[in-house]
Amino acid sequence: MVINEMNWLQRSARLLLFAALLFASPHLRAQKFEGRDLVNASLIADTTAIVPGRAFTAGLLLKMAPTWHTYWQYPGDAGIPTEIKWQLPAGWKAGPIRWPIPLKLTEPGEIQIYGYHDEVLLMTELTPPATIAAKSVHLAAAVGWLVCAKICVPGNGNVQLDLPVGGAASAANPAVFAKFRAQLSRNLPNDALSAIHWQREAKDFRLTISDRSLAQDGNVDFFPLPGATTVLGHPQRQQTSDGSLVFTIPFESAAPGIHSLAGLIVFDHQAWSLGKSTSLSPGPATAKSAPASSTARDLLKFLLFGFIGGFILNLMPCVLPVISLKIFGFMQHAGDSRAKIFGNGVAFSAGIFVWFVGLALLMIALKAAGHQITWAFQFTNPLFVVAMSAVVLVFALNLFGVFEITLSARASGGLLGWSAREGYAGSFFQGVFATVLATPCTAPFLGSALGFAFAASAGVILLMFVAIAAGMSAPYLLLTAQPAWLRFLPRPGAWMVRVKQFMGFLLIATLLFLLWVLGAERGPEAIVWTGAFLLVLSIVCWMKGSFSTPANSFSQRLVVCALMALLVLGGGYYFIGEKFRATRIAASSLTPNDWVAFTPERLRDELAQGRSVFVDFTAAWCITCKFNEASVLETAVVKNAFARAGVVKMKADWTNADPVITKTLQQFGRVGVPLYVLYPATSPDHPVVLPELLTQTLVLDSLQNAAPKVAAAH
Amino acid sequence: MKTKLLILSLTTLCSGALFAAEAPSIGAPAPAFSLPNSQGKTDSLGQFKGKYVVLEWFNPGCPFVQKHYKSGNMQKLQKEFTGKNVVWLTIDSSAPGQEGNLTPAEASKQIAEWNIKSTAFLLDPSGKVGHEYAATNTPHMFVIDPEGKLIYSGAIDNKPTANPADIADATNYVKAALDESMAGKPVQTPNSRAYGCSIKYDR
Repeated sequence: MVINEMNWLQRSARLLLFAALLFASPHLRAQKFEGRDLVNASLIADTTAIVPGRAFTAGLLLKMAPTWHTYWQYPGDAGIPTEIKWQLPAGWKAGPIRWPIPLKLTEPGEIQIYGYHDEVLLMTELTPPATIAAKSVHLAAAVGWLVCAKICVPGNGNVQLDLPVGGAASAANPAVFAKFRAQLSRNLPNDALSAIHWQREAKDFRLTISDRSLAQDGNVDFFPLPGATTVLGHPQRQQTSDGSLVFTIPFESAAPGIHSLAGLIVFDHQAWSLGKSTSLSPGPATAKSAPASSTARDLLKFLLFGFIGGFILNLMPCVLPVISLKIFGFMQHAGDSRAKIFGNGVAFSAGIFVWFVGLALLMIALKAAGHQITWAFQFTNPLFVVAMSAVVLVFALNLFGVFEITLSARASGGLLGWSAREGYAGSFFQGVFATVLATPCTAPFLGSALGFAFAASAGVILLMFVAIAAGMSAPYLLLTAQPAWLRFLPRPGAWMVRVKQFMGFLLIATLLFLLWVLGAERGPEAIVWTGAFLLVLSIVCWMKGSFSTPANSFSQRLVVCALMALLVLGGGYYFIGEKFRATRIAASSLTPNDWVAFTPERLRDELAQGRSVFVDFTAAWCITCKFNEASVLETAVVKNAFARAGVVKMKADWTNADPVITKTLQQFGRVGVPLYVLYPATSPDHPVVLPELLTQTLVLDSLQNAAPKVAAAH
Repeated sequence: MKTKLLILSLTTLCSGALFAAEAPSIGAPAPAFSLPNSQGKTDSLGQFKGKYVVLEWFNPGCPFVQKHYKSGNMQKLQKEFTGKNVVWLTIDSSAPGQEGNLTPAEASKQIAEWNIKSTAFLLDPSGKVGHEYAATNTPHMFVIDPEGKLIYSGAIDNKPTANPADIADATNYVKAALDESMAGKPVQTPNSRAYGCSIKYDR
């Protein structure tokens, strides 16, 4: 019954050759049974070429004959999951299979199985090595499956795909990848986390879902993903009198430490995945066990993402000026001892760590207090932006030379020279400063990593932030640990003062951006009052530089200090406390004419009328959003494509952390902007989520998939 | 147990469901049954009290059953343990018209063709006994101790594939359960997830 490799090859060698010529890439493997094709297997990729070091997704596409099915990773009462054994060149990495949400099928005799009809794409992320010498790469996998209808027939074979290696690639097979990506489960949103409780009884697991909207959905189901040694019966669904939904999953065997199951909560062609969590407390006595968290391997992967994301933060436009500052600092110390240089690197990194750990602790505290937590949430608070503006201005004035920071010259004079100590303190605060500026730049990796972290426990959030901090500080630690590399930098001289002053202008540019954010949040008046406060601050800085230097007597300095404090407090109280707080939340200024403002109701209406909808989740302070808008969404090509496809464009302006939009973001497992979602008119239940960094090709491709009619016409 | 079964069958009848979905538990008495065998006689579980009994669900068309028969693995096990006074019952629950449904004559032919070494080949076309044991797969294995208690249920081994080459490295759960129990030790793996084709029941 297993297909004979040679026979099959002989019979279809000619056909295969023809097909290979015709389609150039996909290698088809057909499973014949009694003269019929039961399963056609082929290997496809979402890219036209392999870019060294850049991960992409490959998929095993199985097309089943009508009424036949293959199996999910947990097949249920009978059956075998499809297996993929990659045969990749050295240096390649393959991720786990990403299984689309299966169907639950019931066979005679109450046999429940989980599988796929018609066709399924089993996706795997492949990561090529950073360098590839060859011009093309041969990807192959040995695959095995069991296909059943009334009877079962195992199939196996080799699938392969040749892809060219290049510096650039565009999307391939977008329709089929979009279709099955939409069928992947999502992480449990954090607002649903508290609604999930597990309990282990003598002979069953109980999953209680206390979320009312979910519990009242008649189609909600639970698909378990038990470990290899756990033997389960069929989940039974029950509605309780208090409106919760209870799934009872009987077990024949389960290790004593297991108190919950991994699995999917399935509703409306969508699913949330529940990770496995095991609590050590005994079963029946505990009312609820810990909410779902993910496996250790997932955690490691996301921590790695966090690290990479942190590293990339260094390249973001909002951090770049500080980097230059820091590099410049290294140059100053290039003549110093190795230990001193490294000490500065450590101090700078410590600043980064302290900020991120502090942020993590704040998040954990807020989460405990039941607040909705979102990335860059601090930027949605206008007072935070005012404080940021003040800090940026003071730093800029310092760079211009209006005043010098002479920290604790008196107190520290002792074992170490005060300049060294000031150096460390300076490095530390620059570290803090760099990270404060980094938060609104949600680097692409960071998005998914944070989405994971916010749905997780306090410990995981903390780990996540530590990983980001480690990633961000890695280059500084490396540079300072290897001062040899610093010697490649130019010699210090008078030009350094000019560079320092020029950096001040970069900070002023940052200040302009912050003021613009304030304007978007609170209108033009807010900018004026903040500006007034900043003017007071500038005067205070000037006073400090002119009348409170070591040259002045102690009593003079005391008077000046008191005056400065009075000015800051008075100005702050009047301009910010009174005038600024009186400003109202501004109407969204981010919605140009050809866009409509997003509301869930409007979205529903447009979809109900059979229109495709594109939603741009954005915010005034989100630089990645602005970049995407300028370079992609507002270009003539993309605008025309939207118009031709008849897609309704909606802007969800999250500048002021609109809670309705926050909720929508969470439905997509996100905790921040940007987020781009395309709801195709043909399948509004399967919205397509675009990446956080857009390209024109990407948007045009997804538009074509969403509106195939238009694609055919043009 | 009998009262429990009675209650079970009553409740299931009332609810309109035809079969008790609950699997018999390890350590509990194995459900009693009587079935016609391939020689036209009737065998019942009760008559083997005092002996170890292995139940093996069978379907000759299923590739997972073929894996263990065409390789000779199943026959070897049957020979080894029937030689140790174990009763081995091969049960076919395929419904009429479905793959693997056999008449007594066809069953005899299958026994000869594959040289099946079990004690008896039982025919369960109504699926009644299959449902009582909540058997779902072919092969699906159960081991009952001399006191009539269930000591193992699940897969034949730990390699859920249809590839005969995997048999050599596999741990055979049925052999392990019998060896351990006969040596007076507790069964290390009393339960595993059965693998194979679904049993071709009628309803």
